[in-house]
Amino acid sequence: MSSKSIENGHHLHKGAATMAHEGMIYIHPAPVRVWHWINAVGFVLLILTGFQIRYAELLHLMPLGDAITLHNYIGFVVIADYFLWLVYYIGSGRIRIYIPDLRHVVTMAIKQAVYYGYGYFIGRPNPHKMTPDNKFNAMQQQAYLVIMLVLLPAQMVTGVLLWKIKGYGEYINLLGGIKVVDTIHVLLFFFFTAFLMIHCYLATLGHTPLAHFKAMFTGYEEEH
Amino acid sequence: MKRKTGAPSVLGLLLIMLCCLWPLAGSAIENSECLDCHGDPDLTKESTDNILNTEITESLYVDEDRFNRSVHNINGITCVDCHSDIEELNYDEEVPHKKELKHVVCASCHEEAGQDFKDSVHMKMRTKGVTMTCYACHGYHYVRQMEGASVTERENSICLKCHNPYQFHQWLPARSSHFSNVECVVCHAPDVPRHINLKIYDLVSNSYYDSSRLSKVLGIDFDQLMRTVDKNGDDVIDPSEFDNLVLLLKQKNIHPVFHAELVADISSIAHHVNRGTAQKTCQKCHSANSPYFNSVQVVFTHDDGTVDSYKVDRAVLETYYVSHFYLLGGTRMKLMDRIGLLILIGSACVVGMHLTARILTIPLRKKNEEETS
Repeated sequence: MSSKSIENGHHLHKGAATMAHEGMIYIHPAPVRVWHWINAVGFVLLILTGFQIRYAELLHLMPLGDAITLHNYIGFVVIADYFLWLVYYIGSGRIRIYIPDLRHVVTMAIKQAVYYGYGYFIGRPNPHKMTPDNKFNAMQQQAYLVIMLVLLPAQMVTGVLLWKIKGYGEYINLLGGIKVVDTIHVLLFFFFTAFLMIHCYLATLGHTPLAHFKAMFTGYEEEH
Repeated sequence: MKRKTGAPSVLGLLLIMLCCLWPLAGSAIENSECLDCHGDPDLTKESTDNILNTEITESLYVDEDRFNRSVHNINGITCVDCHSDIEELNYDEEVPHKKELKHVVCASCHEEAGQDFKDSVHMKMRTKGVTMTCYACHGYHYVRQMEGASVTERENSICLKCHNPYQFHQWLPARSSHFSNVECVVCHAPDVPRHINLKIYDLVSNSYYDSSRLSKVLGIDFDQLMRTVDKNGDDVIDPSEFDNLVLLLKQKNIHPVFHAELVADISSIAHHVNRGTAQKTCQKCHSANSPYFNSVQVVFTHDDGTVDSYKVDRAVLETYYVSHFYLLGGTRMKLMDRIGLLILIGSACVVGMHLTARILTIPLRKKNEEETS
């Protein structure tokens, strides 16, 4: 995204924010917040039931049959939720916030990494200023783009195939067999579990540890 | 290597010996004599249907080819071993033996199976007026050697004759997959020994490789093939030997997949099916330490109906060679668990280290903030 559009977005936003909340900036529209929290609860439950399914001999949170049934239902809720995200972002044109500006992405990502690894500790300001049209920093943009357009769809597709392995047998065979499909699903499962851990931690790096959490409920981020 | 004959061991041997000695006594009736008449597809008799009480025409034809491939013929059991009330043939009569023969009592040879059957739901049905005979499930003249049979063949030829599994099992997730890969009695006869049968499947021709096809393609004797594979001669094909087997096949331009199925041992205890005793605890199978996968074997059916099986190390089930069989939790790849643990520990370390640095640098940030303000 060009610096001009960032400024424009920032301007537009400032006007709206002054009316509603002084010093606050409206970043997360309602559909995004609804999608985010359904997804969040869904992910936590999918991870818990996922661990129960894979490690039935070690974990005894619930009977395996119940864990599978619950995992399937929640999986479909998360899939439906994904389409809410997709329709909203494509329909509103906001999907562009996920598309990195190729001219600056490398420099911006390095700056952001330096901030997380060094600048943050000595109290330097975050090089990325959050606006509605430029919500994500360069690292977030790349990570979320891959997650939302590649990894999450891959997890959903493999999940659906594993749900009816007999019915989707031919598609499973095309992909190299059930073990291949399962390997993809399990590796992504570990990735998403790790992602959730890091995501929750990074969310505490706001002005106060709970600032970003609050913003994801109210939609308003504090302006600094 | 284990060659399966399926015969009740001692009694079977005795019968075989009897069969060998009988001609010496000059009193045996040869199968060929029976088939002189019963080999005619048009041989019938008029009879009465027991249930409908109507007149029916019953075929008395015995297909010689199918009978010759039956487990009884393979084990040297002759027609009159079962139809033992035929002592001699009198060709002066229209029917050279008694017109009404006694019912064949399978349990006179299969004693153990008979005992196990007595304590089963199929025997208890008699109290409700329904009599289950052995041949209602197994048939009679064409009882096949089932050791190498697939789950579908086993189920189609026995349980599915009467039962529709989809009428029940609503509680069971992924029902079709269970019905396709697990034989009914694995769960319904909880005491039966079980094993995983592995078969080489050719995705191009959509068929299994039997021993003769494999020997032909590889250009070596079948027994020689297995001696070549089992290098350490411990009678168990371990994962590295399995690698060699696959390599050998690939060198001959065969790109196989190994189909696996969970089947019951062909033993009398498989008759021990009772209401309410079926295995319904998912974890019994779906856990890494499940005993259901301790016995794994690769099976080959020969042209004459006999079966060869070779023990295979359970770890082979975790490899990608068996890519079309994965039992949630039960045959999971331990490598995936290690990779997963590494990913989780790695990310926890990143979070932990950042958090520690964050706490330790609080005074530094405060100082910088004060200086700035």
